[in-house]
Amino acid sequence: MPPVLRAPLVVEFPFTRSLGPVQSAFLTGLRERTVLGVRTVDGRVLVPPVEYDPVTADEIRDLVEVGATGTVTTWAWNEHPRPRQPLATPFAWVLVRLDGADTSLLHVLDAPGPDAVRTGMRVRVRWARERTGAITDIACFEPYAGEPAGPPHPHSGSFPEPVTGIVAPARLDYTCTPGRAQSRHLAALDGRRTVGERCPSCRKVYVPPRGACPTCGVATDEQVEVGPRGTVTTFCIVNIKAKGLDIEVPYVYAHIALDGAGLALHGRIGGIPYDEVRMGLRVEPVWREGSRHPDHYRPSGEPDADYDTYKELL
Amino acid sequence: MTSPAGRGTTSRARHGRDIAVVAFAQTRHSRRTDEMSEVEMLMPVLHQVLSRTGLRTGDIGFTCSGSSDYLAGRAFSFTMALDGVGAWPPISESHVEMDGAWALYEAWVKLLTGQSDTALVYAYGKSSPGELRDVLTRQLDPYYTAPLWPDSVALAALQAQALIDAGETDEPELAGVAARSRRDAAANPHAQLQGEVPRGRHLVRPLRVSDCPPIGDGAAAVVLAAGERARELCERPAWIRGMDHRIEAHGLGVRDLTRSPSTRLAAEHAGLFERPVDTAELHAPFTSQELVLRRSLDLDARVRVNPSGGALAANPVMAAGLIRIGEAASRIHSGDSDRALAHATSGPCLQHNLVAVLEGEPHAG
Repeated sequence: MPPVLRAPLVVEFPFTRSLGPVQSAFLTGLRERTVLGVRTVDGRVLVPPVEYDPVTADEIRDLVEVGATGTVTTWAWNEHPRPRQPLATPFAWVLVRLDGADTSLLHVLDAPGPDAVRTGMRVRVRWARERTGAITDIACFEPYAGEPAGPPHPHSGSFPEPVTGIVAPARLDYTCTPGRAQSRHLAALDGRRTVGERCPSCRKVYVPPRGACPTCGVATDEQVEVGPRGTVTTFCIVNIKAKGLDIEVPYVYAHIALDGAGLALHGRIGGIPYDEVRMGLRVEPVWREGSRHPDHYRPSGEPDADYDTYKELL
Repeated sequence: MTSPAGRGTTSRARHGRDIAVVAFAQTRHSRRTDEMSEVEMLMPVLHQVLSRTGLRTGDIGFTCSGSSDYLAGRAFSFTMALDGVGAWPPISESHVEMDGAWALYEAWVKLLTGQSDTALVYAYGKSSPGELRDVLTRQLDPYYTAPLWPDSVALAALQAQALIDAGETDEPELAGVAARSRRDAAANPHAQLQGEVPRGRHLVRPLRVSDCPPIGDGAAAVVLAAGERARELCERPAWIRGMDHRIEAHGLGVRDLTRSPSTRLAAEHAGLFERPVDTAELHAPFTSQELVLRRSLDLDARVRVNPSGGALAANPVMAAGLIRIGEAASRIHSGDSDRALAHATSGPCLQHNLVAVLEGEPHAG
């Protein structure tokens, strides 16, 4: 059993999201230091506002401006802020009912410690210095001893240059471990050997192995070295240059059945003009220094394989 | 056909067909399974649950699974997990990006239609490759909530504080829930946390380490069967008398976090209040959530709550809800329970809840 392999894996994606009329007004309002709510069918004021009544599902568009001051309705002290949370120093998560609102907004409260926080305490918005039309335009809440704001008053929701979309970046960090079968496969590749695994039931050899025979649903645990040579079972000619890929077009991308394998893997074919590649062509891997996989496959010089020898692997 | 336990009339009138959990299997849940891929972790459980019924993949009418690619960061991991089923010749199959309890719900509905007589349901979660608390923030409202990265413990802590403020609980009571769960888990060979667990520091106050579920990897599988088929496959099938799921508003500040009206409604629709249950497997990952659920379900001291130790003993995300159904069914299979409630939850602060009511037939003699 080779040692467990590990590699960092970062999954990062910016979601570009469009805003409806209510969310657009709310987030644009934050940019302008104005907090908007929306009136539900039964007359309650929701902050943050949504576009459909959470009880009746009616479309709701009746916007009101509420205060930037409010009352904590529940809280939780976060001694160890996590990356990307709004404050880097210990803070309280809070639900805040802003003056004039009937529901609470989730945000954070900058306070010296848990003893300085309680349900019912008065707080106000601390605005971010740079505001773009996002919930983070509220940098955080802070304790506030002044007068409460008055009742909500109607607001058109119109601002110059309204924000119509947000880009929500997300990044998650993982430590990937590939599992038993793939670890064995990767360890063998390190020695430039290609090792597949045989299904104990149907005897098919999987390359690369994934740990289970998808036909029989049982573990593949017998290692079988395959190749290094193989047969082109089918191929295509690539005429579009991939971004960041240093390969001249046109080139051939092929399915290659390595000798002894029960299914084809894919790889690039080099060392032969693209228009001379054919089904049945015999190939061998070409390794580059420092690479963990064959860079490409080239003709081995053997006569073409007979169709019957690979027709089941197409 | 006579109605099982002589009480099936209502449920048959409601559902048309009697369907039971006939087998259940789960992994020994653990903090990490670095040496295994997801399918390598799942496959032994699939084999166990099938061998308990003598069925083979080809005998199963419908297969449904629950998992989330975000946990291990592997795209389309559920298709690779399907390798462990042996899906050839092609099977009738479906997947939900939810806890496996909802996969079981889909399979139950499929069986109710009469399109098949047996179903295989499985779920797995490998949380160890990522930072689960951060990963779960990605399920939140992307406009107002997710940009703040409020982690799962923080949101549960807000709910716990709301309960404390309402005078409904205090830290010692929460500690009691934690201690009872881990004590009961000592008899559960699959549990990740057993016995004496120190309360630990505040993770997010008021929740301490011991109020939170362990983070870990695990998988579970269930076989469902209809009518006579269920009796052939299991000595004492756990008949699903009713099952329902309900969801609440996504805005946390819109909800009363001290109550779970969605659980209550699902329970009413599942027929929970028709007769008392003797056992309840509640999917309450945080101690405070067990108290919310107990009150919403009117569970008193006569009901044995979470004899398995519950999610505080092992909480493999995406499988933990299905495990509640499996644990409740196992108690019926073994004769330890005659009527049990199983509950599963999804989303922050018990946002989405599923309730199933399971029954065994009277013992012979």
